Amino acid sequence: MSDILTHIDLEHLDDLAMGSVFLATGGGGDPYVPKLITAEAIKAHGRVALLSPKDIRDEMFIVTVGSVGAPTVSLELLPSVQEAAETLDAYEKFIGRKIDAVASFEIGGGNSVIPICAAAAKGIPVVDGDGMGRALPEAQMMSYPIGGVKPTPALAYDYAGNRATFDTDTTETYERHIRAFSMAAGGMVTAAEHAMTGRQVKDTIIPGTISFSVKLGALLRQKRGQAPSLEAPLQQLFKSSIYGECRLIYSGKVIDKTTRVIGGYDIGEATIEDFSGTEENLLINIKNEYLLARQDDRVRASVPDLITIVDYETGTPINGERLRYGQRVAVFATGCPDFYRSEKALKVVAPRCFGFDIDFVPLEEL
Amino acid sequence: MRIGIDVGGTHTDAVILEGDKVIAATKALTTADVVSGISNALDEILSMGGVKEHQIETVMIGTTQFTNAVIERRSLTRMAAVRIGLPSGKGMPPMIDWPADMKSAINAQVHMMHGGYLYDGHLLAELRDDEINALINDLKKENIKNISIASAFSPMNAQPELKVAQAIKAAIPEAQITLSHEFGRLGLMERENASILNTALLPFAAKVVDAFQSALKARGLNCPAYISQNDGTLMSSDFVRQFPALTFSSGPTNSLRGAFKLTGLEDAIVVDIGGTTSDIGVLQGGFPRESNVVVDIGGIRTNFRMPDIMAIGLGGGSLVTENGKQVGPQSVGHRLVEEGLIFGGDTLTATDIIVAAGDENIGNPNSVKALDKKLVQDAKETMHTMLDRTIEMMKPGGKSLPVILVGGGSVLVTDGLKAASKLYRPKNAGVANAIGAAIAQVGGEAERLLSYRQMTREDAIANVTQAAKLKAVAAGANADTIRAIDIEETAIPYMDEGATRVRVKVIGELAL
Repeated sequence: MSDILTHIDLEHLDDLAMGSVFLATGGGGDPYVPKLITAEAIKAHGRVALLSPKDIRDEMFIVTVGSVGAPTVSLELLPSVQEAAETLDAYEKFIGRKIDAVASFEIGGGNSVIPICAAAAKGIPVVDGDGMGRALPEAQMMSYPIGGVKPTPALAYDYAGNRATFDTDTTETYERHIRAFSMAAGGMVTAAEHAMTGRQVKDTIIPGTISFSVKLGALLRQKRGQAPSLEAPLQQLFKSSIYGECRLIYSGKVIDKTTRVIGGYDIGEATIEDFSGTEENLLINIKNEYLLARQDDRVRASVPDLITIVDYETGTPINGERLRYGQRVAVFATGCPDFYRSEKALKVVAPRCFGFDIDFVPLEEL
Repeated sequence: MRIGIDVGGTHTDAVILEGDKVIAATKALTTADVVSGISNALDEILSMGGVKEHQIETVMIGTTQFTNAVIERRSLTRMAAVRIGLPSGKGMPPMIDWPADMKSAINAQVHMMHGGYLYDGHLLAELRDDEINALINDLKKENIKNISIASAFSPMNAQPELKVAQAIKAAIPEAQITLSHEFGRLGLMERENASILNTALLPFAAKVVDAFQSALKARGLNCPAYISQNDGTLMSSDFVRQFPALTFSSGPTNSLRGAFKLTGLEDAIVVDIGGTTSDIGVLQGGFPRESNVVVDIGGIRTNFRMPDIMAIGLGGGSLVTENGKQVGPQSVGHRLVEEGLIFGGDTLTATDIIVAAGDENIGNPNSVKALDKKLVQDAKETMHTMLDRTIEMMKPGGKSLPVILVGGGSVLVTDGLKAASKLYRPKNAGVANAIGAAIAQVGGEAERLLSYRQMTREDAIANVTQAAKLKAVAAGANADTIRAIDIEETAIPYMDEGATRVRVKVIGELAL
C-alpha cells in the first residue's frame, strides 16, 4: 500500500478505526458505531475522495465536523446515519455558502470517521489530516484555533434534531458554550465549526493523519500479538512519521479505574499494577483522554505526548470507556507532532492546562 | 461425592469425584435427544465406581450446546428484537453488523421505538403508547412469543425495558422476555446482542434443561444440579432456562480448569484437541486467562467475560489434503468412526495418519498400511507446526511454558512440541471438561446503591465486596480462596452527585 491514500473506501474503515483508537489515547469515543454508519454512507453514496493538504486550493471553503461530548455517552446514545450530513446541510443554510470539503477535529476515535460519513453523504472530499494528530478534550486545543482560526460561526445538532448556533469571542468561550449545549442535549452532539479557507487549512492542519491511521491500523492487525512484540514495528512506523518516538513504558493489570461524567467530560483515573509486582504502580489521569502517566512522582509520559493503553495479549488499543478492572494491559507512549511542542501550542495543551503542577518534558528526555 | 458431566457436540463425558480424586470416568456419544447420552454415561460411571445414587451430593453439568447452536446457526427460535432509544440511532437497527446467515437464522422481527434515558437521568424520549400497541399487534400477528428488549442506559435506569415488558406480558401472558439490563454494563449494542442471542435460545434452553433434569431423575439422582457459566461459576439448572447465554464459553473454561486439576500446574498452556478444532488457552495461577477485548461469538460482538482462547481447525477428524501439506480446517467431525480409513471409510483424516505412522493402534491399522511414507511424515509435521505456531502466539511474555494436552484428539501430538518447555499428558485428559465442571467455583454477587459523598469510594467497594463474599460463603465457597473478579460502578446521576451503583462479583473454591 502506498503511504498516501487518495480515497477512503469500505476496505479502509477497519484499519482506520483501529489506528484511530491508538491515536485517541483513550478518548475520542469508540469508533465502532461511527464506523458502521460511515460504512452505510459509503455503501449508499460511494467512496470518499481524500484530499492531500498540499493539493488544496487556497480559495476552497472547508468546514470541520465531528462529535462533541463525553465518550462514555457514545456507548449508549447511538448516532444516526443522517446526523452528520444534516449538520452540514444546516450549516450551509446558516452561513449561506456551499462547503467544498470537510476536515476532522481529531484523528483519535470516532471523529476520525464522522467527517468521512458526512463527506460521503454530501458527495464532497475529506482532507487527509486533522486538528490534533491525536484526541484532546477541548476545542481550543485544536491546531486550527492555535493557528489563529476562529471556531465560530458554529452549529451543533443533537440526537433529536435540536440545534444551536454559536458566535463567540474566544475559542475558550466557544468550548464552554458548546460543552454546555452538549451536556444539556444528552452528552453528545454533532458540530460543524472552524470554517476555513483552503489556505488556512494548509497552514494549520496536522497533515496526513488519516492515511497514517489506516497504516497504523493495518500494522496492528497484521502484527496482532503480545505488546512487547509490537514495540519494534511500532517504533519503526512512528519514527518515519510526524510522531517520532514510541515506547512501551509499562505492562500490568488494571487494579482500579474510576471515571464519572463531570462537566461534560469523562474525568477520573486508572491504576495499573506491574505483572511481577516489583515495580511501583502506574497511575493514569483521565480527562476523556489519558493525560498523564506516572509512578509516584516520576512522570513516564504526559500530554501533549500520546499515552495509549492496549490489550496486553493482542495489542488492540482500549478506549478509556472500555478500560476495566482486571484487564491485562500494556502502555505505550508516543511523541506528539512537533506542532504540539511549540510554545504557542504548549500554552493550551501543557500539563498545567489540565491542572497538573508539572512542566511538559518530551518523552525522549524522560 | 460429586458428578461432573460435560455435554459436548460429539461426546458426553462424565466423572465421579471424591474430594480431588477421580473415582470413575467415561466418554459416551452425545445423542440427538441428549437424555440417553447422559443416561448412558451415568450408568457407566456409577457401575464402574460401584457408587450408589444417594452417595452423590451434587451434579455439575457443563455444556457447549448453546454455544454450538449459535456457531452452527441451529435450534434458534423466531423472535422479536425491540430497541428503545429513538430518535437516537435512527438507521442503526439491532443486528446491523451481524453476519447475514445469523440474521436469517433468527429472522427476527425488528422494532425501534422511542424511549430510554440519557446519561444525566433525563428522559431520552417518552415511551409512546401507539408504538407499544403496534409492537404487541405485530407480535400477535406473527405469533412471536420470544422477545428481547434493550433500551438506552438501561443499566442506569431499567424502567423503559420493564414497562414495555409488562405491557407485552399483559397482552401475551406466555411471552418469554429477555431484558438487556440483566446482562449488565454499559455498551448498548453489545448488551443488546447478548440479550438477542439469549432470547433466540430460550426454547432450546427449556428442551436441554428438561433433558438434563429428566436424565438425572430417571437415574435416581435427586441431589441439586448446577450448570457452569462462562466465568467458571455455577448456576442452578432452572436459572439456565432464562439465561442460556450465560453458558457461552463455559466449555473452554472447564477444560482449562480440568487441566489445572489434573496436573496441579498453575501456569501452563492448555491445548484441547477435539474432533474438529483445537482450543488453545492459558492458565494463570490456575485460572483461565481472560480476554480483554470485545468478544465475538459466532461473529457477534458481546460483552461477556470469556477466557482468551484461540481455536484452530485441527482435530482427530480433520481432512488431510495436498499430500499432507494441509490438515483441516474441514473435518468429518463425529462421523470419524464411519468415514475415517481405519474405520472402513474412504476419507483420509488426521487420526489415520497417526495410526499409519504406528503411533497409535486404533480401528484397523491394515487399511492405512499402503499410505505413502512421505505423506504420513509431512502430515504429522503439518499438525505439529500448526500447534507450535499457535502456542507461540499465546504464550505470555515470550516465556516458554509447560503444555498440557487434553481432549480426545490429543493422540495427534506424537513428537513433542517445540514451543513447550515440557509436555504433559495427564491421565483422564480425555475428560478434562467434565472434571472442570465438577470443580467449578462458587460465585457471590452483591449490589448496593451508595453515595461517595457519604462514604469514600474505597470503603464503598470494600463494603460491597464483603457482602459478596458472605454470599459466596453461604453458597458453599471456602472463604480463604475468595477473590473479586469484577467490580462495576455505574454513576446514577439523577440522585445526588456521588450516587453510584456498585456491583462486585467474587468467586471461590467449593469448600470440601
